Amino acid sequence: MKKSILCAVLALAAVGAFAQDVPALLKAADKYRMSSDNMQVDTQISVFNTDGSPDKERRYTVFAQARHQSLVLMQSPAEKGQKVLMLGDDFWLLMPGSQRPLRITPMQKLLGDASTGDIATMSWADDYTGTVIGEERCGEPEQACVHLSLAAARKGVTYQRIELWLGKAKHEPVRADLYVQSDKLAKQARFVMDKPAAPTTVTAMLLRDQLTNKKETQVRYLARKERTVPEAWLNPMFLARNPALE
Amino acid sequence: MKIIALSLAVLAAAAQAAPEFSGQVRPQWLAQQANDAGPLARAVALQPGIATLPRSYGAVETELRLSGHGLSFVGTEQQQRIEGDRLRSHGWVNEWYGATDAAGWQLSAGKRIVAWDVGYGFRPNDVVEQETRRTLLSVTPEGRPLLMAEHFDASTAWSFVLVNPTKPRDETGANEPALAARVYQRDGSIDWHGFARYGAHTGASIGAAMAWVASDAVELHGSLRLLARADTLASDTTGAALLRSNPWQAARTGGTGQALVGGTWTNEAQLSLLAEAWWDGTALSDAQWDDWATRNRGLAALVGTPAPTGAVAGNLAWQASAFNASTSLRRANLFARLSWQHDKWQPALDVLFTPADRGRVVTGSLGWQGDRVRLDAGLRLYGGPADAVLSQVPTRRIGYLAATWSF
Repeated sequence: MKKSILCAVLALAAVGAFAQDVPALLKAADKYRMSSDNMQVDTQISVFNTDGSPDKERRYTVFAQARHQSLVLMQSPAEKGQKVLMLGDDFWLLMPGSQRPLRITPMQKLLGDASTGDIATMSWADDYTGTVIGEERCGEPEQACVHLSLAAARKGVTYQRIELWLGKAKHEPVRADLYVQSDKLAKQARFVMDKPAAPTTVTAMLLRDQLTNKKETQVRYLARKERTVPEAWLNPMFLARNPALE
Repeated sequence: MKIIALSLAVLAAAAQAAPEFSGQVRPQWLAQQANDAGPLARAVALQPGIATLPRSYGAVETELRLSGHGLSFVGTEQQQRIEGDRLRSHGWVNEWYGATDAAGWQLSAGKRIVAWDVGYGFRPNDVVEQETRRTLLSVTPEGRPLLMAEHFDASTAWSFVLVNPTKPRDETGANEPALAARVYQRDGSIDWHGFARYGAHTGASIGAAMAWVASDAVELHGSLRLLARADTLASDTTGAALLRSNPWQAARTGGTGQALVGGTWTNEAQLSLLAEAWWDGTALSDAQWDDWATRNRGLAALVGTPAPTGAVAGNLAWQASAFNASTSLRRANLFARLSWQHDKWQPALDVLFTPADRGRVVTGSLGWQGDRVRLDAGLRLYGGPADAVLSQVPTRRIGYLAATWSF
């Protein structure tokens, strides 16, 4: 009896210790995707049908900057010239033919199998608050994980709630359940690390659509480098500038 | 061929900077059914061949885009075969300009698309490009020759444009030489725009526009422009008198205004509804359309009288000039568009309605987007009561089919 009580107390103490450190846990997890506040990330999206056959492929260049600012340049032939600017909770789209930046709503940002939010948002620490649910086994192969439940701290984020599992030892992201505004499960994410035994960076994120078509989307991070873009690039009207941003 | 030569010249100039190169090839077929009502149809019925009715055509358009080293080029080459005609080729430059930075300002010179304003169906403050709205297919417009200076900081942008600087002062519409300016201010969830334009012969106009994201799902926008004058066409002939020349001649309106309000709603499933209402004071007035209809009836009544058939047909054909008086046919307009983005499919249905005469244009479309290929098909129908202006335009139905291959 005394032993059981002691175990329970220790478990609660462990959860309590993690709870105090949720921001630190999220910051540690973010480092695996955003090693700096200002980054340029080249991303490839591959969508697969439920039978595993390839469905479509897209390439993006993302300038992810501090203070929730991201500029996404579409690079695939079908979308070449399209740009999306995300400044906190505000979003703009530029279609190449029109040369006219268009204000869009958060719902319009949620386009396609990998939404712009999936591509452009690479940090949780600034956007979510959370609690530690406890320790669980997760991942393939299975490992000890910390399960966190995150709630959006601002309205512009793509997902209102995230159930996130981090590796217990190194706090790398392992998997996540992503919920939209209506609290429906939209996507399930798995994170692929460069070196599973000693992870340093996320090389890919696998998203399984749970809302509509059950397709799987692979978000591969092809190249990352630290890059701070000029202030003017983050002005919505600057989107119409050509030659293309380099 | 001219376009390809220009592309190569720009490519050579930009070669040192590893230029970006992209483009698309679009075969398309557009089937048009001419209207059997309206002044043009009556004119052709009386005297076949007196005017050209809308005809179907097939075309292949190749668009090339090159940029780098401060230069930018977009050109289009088109091979088109109109029903009953031979294959014709022609090309045009959509954009060709150089840009540089100096003392915190972005300067550009050349032919360029400068698109302003916030609406979808109508853009009163698109005072530089004056882009055609509600086209069946998404097309790259042809830019305007201009000199432009822009300044950007984090949330404000200033633009000054001298457009058509070398064109004659009496050019009309988007070809008129003019000085235009825009200031943009971002204020949280609201974008504010202020506009001013001074045309060589239309004089001053000022405008303002806003776009507000009111919630996660709703965006609202509005635009207002006040003009000293605007180019139009007008006729001072109201009766059924047979004339020797087209009574519809270039004219200028007095001071007037244009206004638009609208909004979009989009849900999680990417179902989107756009609704807009606009007032275009540069369009012909209800009284002018009444006079137009009276003259049409009067001319039609001359059929079977001793009046020369050719003269009656010619006068009826000239009445179709009224359709080109302004970008809007009627002053008051309502527009709604329902669209859905579902995986690779994009179905859409839209309706333009003119309350003054209950005329309407209904367009249904379906798009499919692959990795490199996009397919588009659709149908546009013009209709309403027999006396509605939209029931009397030269085209009754347009169907289209297009495949776009991007590279």
